[in-house]
Amino acid sequence: MELWMHQIERWFQQAEQWIRQQPAEQLYLTIAVVFIASILLILLRSFNPSKSNIIVLAGLSGSGKTILFYQLRDGSSHQGTVTSMEPNDDIFVLHSEVDKKAKTKPVHVVDVPGHSRLRPKLDVFLPQAAGLVFVVDALDFLPNCRVAAEYLYDILTKASIVKKKIPVLILCNKTDKVTAHSKEFIRKQLEKEIDKLRTSRTAISTADVTNEYTLGVPGEPFSFSHCQNQVTVAEASGLTGEVSQAEHFIREHVKP
Amino acid sequence: MLEQLLIFTRGGLILWTCKELGNALRGSPIDTLIRSCLLEERSADGVFNYDAPGAAAYTLKWTFHNELGLVFVAIYQRILHLLYVDELLYAMRQEFSHIYDPKRTAYDEFDEIFRQLHMEAEARAEEMRKLKQAGKAAPLLGKKQLQGPSQRGVQQGGRKQKIGSNIGSATDEDGADSEKHRGLVNNSSNGHQNGTKESIARKGKENGPPESGAFDVNKLQKLRAKGSKKNASAVISKTSKEEPKKNVKMNRVWGDSPPSESKLDFTNPGDESGEGVVEVVSADQGDSMMDKEEIVSSESEDEEDDKLEGAKSSVKKGWFSSMFQSISGNSVLEKSDLQPALKALKDRLMTKNVAEEIAEKLCESVAASLEGKKLGSFTRISSTVQAAMEEALLRILTPKRSIDILRDVHAAKEQGKPYVIVFVGVNGVGKSTNLAKVAYWLLQHEISVMLAACDTFRSGAVEQLRTHARRLQIPIFEKGYEKDPAIVAKEAIQEASRNKSDVVLVDTAGRMQDNEPLMRALSKLINLNNPDLVLFVGEALVGMMLWINFPSLTRN
Repeated sequence: MELWMHQIERWFQQAEQWIRQQPAEQLYLTIAVVFIASILLILLRSFNPSKSNIIVLAGLSGSGKTILFYQLRDGSSHQGTVTSMEPNDDIFVLHSEVDKKAKTKPVHVVDVPGHSRLRPKLDVFLPQAAGLVFVVDALDFLPNCRVAAEYLYDILTKASIVKKKIPVLILCNKTDKVTAHSKEFIRKQLEKEIDKLRTSRTAISTADVTNEYTLGVPGEPFSFSHCQNQVTVAEASGLTGEVSQAEHFIREHVKP
Repeated sequence: MLEQLLIFTRGGLILWTCKELGNALRGSPIDTLIRSCLLEERSADGVFNYDAPGAAAYTLKWTFHNELGLVFVAIYQRILHLLYVDELLYAMRQEFSHIYDPKRTAYDEFDEIFRQLHMEAEARAEEMRKLKQAGKAAPLLGKKQLQGPSQRGVQQGGRKQKIGSNIGSATDEDGADSEKHRGLVNNSSNGHQNGTKESIARKGKENGPPESGAFDVNKLQKLRAKGSKKNASAVISKTSKEEPKKNVKMNRVWGDSPPSESKLDFTNPGDESGEGVVEVVSADQGDSMMDKEEIVSSESEDEEDDKLEGAKSSVKKGWFSSMFQSISGNSVLEKSDLQPALKALKDRLMTKNVAEEIAEKLCESVAASLEGKKLGSFTRISSTVQAAMEEALLRILTPKRSIDILRDVHAAKEQGKPYVIVFVGVNGVGKSTNLAKVAYWLLQHEISVMLAACDTFRSGAVEQLRTHARRLQIPIFEKGYEKDPAIVAKEAIQEASRNKSDVVLVDTAGRMQDNEPLMRALSKLINLNNPDLVLFVGEALVGMMLWINFPSLTRN
């Protein structure tokens, strides 16, 4: 035991001597570097809680999300798409802004599959979402109206959307076709359906309820203006590349 | 002829389609394939039949490249039995993986490569068909003499073709046709096929499901030809997975083969894809020239030995190197690696009362999705498999649609029809009791209910419902016992629409799934009345039994 203590003392003395021998500037330099590095680390940690800068494309299967994704990224729909089995996740500069001289910040867009079995994938990306684009098929709208409204209702009542007030854009796709419905019509239909859903979902006992929040003002017919987060409706056409309203939304909500 | 060939990513973007086969497909076969097969964890099947509206019947075959996340699909008319599709898909996969780049979205140069592959595959199929026809014409007797030289010619011709191809697909059909041979199966041909099959299997490591296999024959032949237990055990282990087939007459083997001759031939044995081919070949090669046979067998013997050595060395790999590989993260997952982990998971599923067939299918599907993937660094195989299995299970168990009965009832009310719910299940699970509880719940939500007593078999069933109805103060429609439940249900629904009830709850008799007449009666009830909701009531404690019940009920 004493031997050890002796050893340690001797080592201390040696270290002291060695430090004394170093030129003073070097010592100060090392101390300064260590200090600055630790300050930087602390700063980074505190200013990086959770980056929310993802734009999520969601919607029913077949509404045109993947085509929209590729239009935003490459400006063309390539050779077509099939039902997605996995999300498409990429960080890119919007195609229409590639030619601009000013430095534009790339956006992180995720296209989540719409198939009902793959719904849980949406929850993976929602915590970091800065905006959500709900793509609706304007051509084949009425047969899918109920299912689309249910999906939209589920999204609007998710905790992450309500708490963080994530803005939602309802994008009516396929408007290049003649028989596509107008966005006003779609908006009204969705509001009506969600109204009905509100009553039936809240009627279920609290043991069964899967929606975390309720929407709208009780007693009044539901309207998107009742939502705490901002819900807007716009039109687009994936095949022809008419996606300017979507891009506008993206630019608005992703800090440039 | 092929209708269409596609390569697309798992994210949904089509990377390449064959421009020559520009036929418009009727219906949407690919979307249906994805929705009802690949996402339902049936990707291990390999084949999918699709009936398009408009009397077009397609068959779809696919293969995955799990590492790059690509899917290769071939579509053709169902009436054509194209046999080269599998190998074509595998060839495409191999070629495409060389030129694939995640950043690129157009692959026009693949057209050329594909055209070549397609021509080769078709040429081979043609050859096989011709040989088959030629072989059928030869007389049975004296075949041994005739087929000797023709066999050699065929073999050489076959070999030449193989040189041109670079395929690693399994030759499932080989064994099949050697089986079909009318009793004079030539062991040399079998050995040849087996040899090629093994070499292919070794190269591509793809043991496709052998649809048949004269592999017992091959096994026996090998036993005799080599007379060494070592090889026999290897063959047995190799062929143990394959279905046993009827024994065929064997040829006599005369001593050992000169090994040197076989070693000179390093051609890639292309597959004799096509059942016709193998049959023809085997028909031609009657009693082999002893040399031929021995060359073949020794060739296969070489491949056997190589495989054995490979197996041995892989055994030596063992713990240490697998640890290294899991850290470095560069090893590619093979089916053999996945087997132990999958088996463990399958056993766990079965102890949790999942039916064996379902567990098996699930494991196959997970294996299909993991094969060829690179292991990430610091991950073990078992953890990768577990993660994949979890994801697959999550996918299966995610409900396709949310059942919102109140919403549906309101929708039906708007249309002026009553909403019909039928309760089915085996005996004694609690249909009538739950029916009463559901009625009470609906009443609480201000929906008018009517009961229909279609259990006309069990004594006391109608009285039971009558008591429930009296307590709940709701109307009940009954016709007593020994009546046809389908008719009773129909009249009940008519009565309900007359007195403006919103919902009709139909009680049926409990029945076992294997009781054919009762199942038929149930299907008649359902078809006649078209209920909006069929609720299968089952015990939560029962696992396997539920699966046995369910398919028979959904079949109707």
